[in-house]
Amino acid sequence: MTPATGTRINDDLTRPLLLTSWRFYLLVAFFGAFVAAGLAAWFSQIFFGIGIAGIRWPVYWGFYVTNFVFWIGISHAGTLISAILRLVDAGWRRPVTRCAEVITVFALMIGALFPIIHLGRPWLAFWLFPYPSERLIWPNFRSPLVWDFFAINTYLTGSILFLLLPMIPDFAVVRDRSTGLRHRIYRLLALGWRGTPKQWHRLETAMQIMAIAILPVAVSVHTIVSFDFSMAPVPMWQSTIFGPYFVAGAIFSGIAALIIAMAALRRFLQLEEYLRPIHFDNLGKLLLMMALIWGYFVFNERLVTYYGNEPAEMTVFWRTQRQSFAPLHWTMIACNFLVPLVLMGIRRFRTIGGCVVASFAVIVGMWLERFLIIVPSLGAKYLPYSFGIYRPQPVEIIITAATFAAMGLLYVLFAKVIPIISIWELKAGEHTPSAAARALDEERLGKVRP
Amino acid sequence: MPRWGMAADLDRCNGCGACVVACHAENNISTVGAAEAARGRAKHWIRVERYWEGEFPDVRLKFRPVMCQQCDSAPCEPVCPTYASHHTADGLNAQVYNRCIGTRYCANACPYNVRFFDFFNPSWDRPLQLQLNPDVSLRSVGVMEKCTFCVQRIRGAQIQAKAEGRELRDGEIQPACVQSCAPRALVFGDLQDPESEVSRLSRSARGAKLLEDVGTQPAVTYLAKQT
Amino acid sequence: MSAVYGLYPDGHAAQQAVNRLRAAGVADRDITILSARPMEEFEFGQRDRQTWMWWFASFGGLLGMAAGYGLSWLTETSWAIDVGGLPTFAWWPNLIVMFELTMLGAILAAVLTLVVSALLPTRGQTLYDPEVSEGQILVGVERPGEARLADLEQALSAPPGARVKQSP
Repeated sequence: MTPATGTRINDDLTRPLLLTSWRFYLLVAFFGAFVAAGLAAWFSQIFFGIGIAGIRWPVYWGFYVTNFVFWIGISHAGTLISAILRLVDAGWRRPVTRCAEVITVFALMIGALFPIIHLGRPWLAFWLFPYPSERLIWPNFRSPLVWDFFAINTYLTGSILFLLLPMIPDFAVVRDRSTGLRHRIYRLLALGWRGTPKQWHRLETAMQIMAIAILPVAVSVHTIVSFDFSMAPVPMWQSTIFGPYFVAGAIFSGIAALIIAMAALRRFLQLEEYLRPIHFDNLGKLLLMMALIWGYFVFNERLVTYYGNEPAEMTVFWRTQRQSFAPLHWTMIACNFLVPLVLMGIRRFRTIGGCVVASFAVIVGMWLERFLIIVPSLGAKYLPYSFGIYRPQPVEIIITAATFAAMGLLYVLFAKVIPIISIWELKAGEHTPSAAARALDEERLGKVRP
Repeated sequence: MPRWGMAADLDRCNGCGACVVACHAENNISTVGAAEAARGRAKHWIRVERYWEGEFPDVRLKFRPVMCQQCDSAPCEPVCPTYASHHTADGLNAQVYNRCIGTRYCANACPYNVRFFDFFNPSWDRPLQLQLNPDVSLRSVGVMEKCTFCVQRIRGAQIQAKAEGRELRDGEIQPACVQSCAPRALVFGDLQDPESEVSRLSRSARGAKLLEDVGTQPAVTYLAKQT
Repeated sequence: MSAVYGLYPDGHAAQQAVNRLRAAGVADRDITILSARPMEEFEFGQRDRQTWMWWFASFGGLLGMAAGYGLSWLTETSWAIDVGGLPTFAWWPNLIVMFELTMLGAILAAVLTLVVSALLPTRGQTLYDPEVSEGQILVGVERPGEARLADLEQALSAPPGARVKQSP
């Protein structure tokens, strides 16, 4: 298969920006309806009081904190693909980096909404920001929630910049191909980009620095989110494994989200030549590896708890594995471990379709995992007289569904205004020494599975 | 500097629940109605836990009044992002309603489950609003609240004693639950004073702390039931 | 007429054009080269590699670390509130906030350096042709002066596939 020429790459990747079909409007309307319902639900929660949600004594965290941890976890997709693969110069990353970075930015924005949604007095959320107030009081830097605030904001800023920087040359391409108002907007966005060697060097150096800086930030973000749990003496929360466990789970769910996004883009934007089976094959192998790592962490945590045989912890342990939460727990194990192991481990099943099925299973499984970390422990804390059962209410379910729709909506809108594959990186990748080796790989894979 | 503590004699507690009612009255705690209470929204700053052992007719009943233990090493304090939950110099875990933004992390961290959340704005059917205690602020929707050892009575007595130029006497300060306990199961006082009744009871051979192995260092001693 | 330039279909032709311009006596800093992707496999794509960006990023990180330390130390000691018996200034939790602000400082410093040093428009360097984004490589000279114009045009049109233009 001959590589696409410069002009054809430009054509294929700017076409979604310049041509709009009825499918776009349908998708926007569909997702937009759910998002509107979610906003209405949130406002009604503020108006009537947070009591319309299902949280209760003593299960004070439920769907909202589950969603928070889930979406922050999804946001680790971009970092892994972009930063790590950029640093090891893996050529196959090139069509994939922007799709992944976009997931990161939007998942972070959605995830960062939930600490506000779940507050009892969300209009005072700005007190988490360190500013000199007339009350002479600052945020409590010993609180994991304040660490969350700093970590998520740093990661969000870094991710947005990591996404924006390589877009500048692509804005220049769209600038040159459009007229009128569109031309003026993209000219503004492209800043002073012309394409001199100095500009390319500076851009690549900045990307290098950011890739190195954003990796530890990403690891720290989900570790700090795990500290929201491990800093409290709740049975089965006070586990030292939570940091690495959460980071591994985040990368796991992030890769699954990326596979789904890429498969959708490939179908809807006719990008079959750019998002090739080799990409899904590689990501599928990564998904398999993360499934094994996830299983390893879960096994570790459970075995140590079991041997510890501490009464409070064993109450939660059995509650999750044998009693009221057992159906959810075993669904989670099947979705997160068995399905990816079978579908991604057997080469026959590692097709694009197989990857998408496994990814959907992982998304469901990881959401359940967050839920099962939070709710069974809180409902069975030490004193049996104060155990409780959490029942989610419509407002929580609507808001949860709305966030998935918001992700879809933001993604669709983004793909409409900005090339979803980095044009200059794709072209640059054709000319590196590793490109020849990559072409050979794809030929080989092409023969096995067209 | 005093260090306030309580002792609860489980031999004397008969589960009457007068302490619960008195606490509601003294601290302006609203009732939430039967539906909301069934959903777990009731705010009983002190509750009487009832446990029974054995089968009928050999049932042994235990009542245990549980209120905020005012832990020395309170897990609810470091996790509050706005310093709404913090420790005072006289050993109380203070809850500042005005700083609370309702993250509910403190409630999750509390192993005794003694922290309560205002899910809705509280309301009292007329004319019950006339019975509200002017010494205690009302809490709006979205803030955490819990037992304060009736800090308004502690401060009131301290101010009174200072005005009269004398020391506080043991037993002069009585939180509402202590005051209303008919069998006198609950005792309140200064743990720093070795002669106070609560100090003597805390050194009793029957005395133990609740969930001592969690490491919270609570200020409430429970005297085991013997009969 | 403010610039004369040639458009070339590949890097080899562009490299020849650059060499011929140098032979015609044009200084390196007067040669403008524009491409749609980094062309580091050619000599002309290697120019202007020097950058202070790493130093600026490290300095930004240090600033961030100082900001984190200052923020936590000043605020925690100005009103010492006892929470759970932790020390007034506890190193472990404050290190987390310091770390985040360090990384934020490094990232912002790198981006600021990029914008200031490479993206702000510079006077006298405005030559551009939209065909660059279609994959053509532009090699040219801005404000060449009437005397050298013929020499430059000859140098630029020599390599294969060249299209020489003048910008008004």
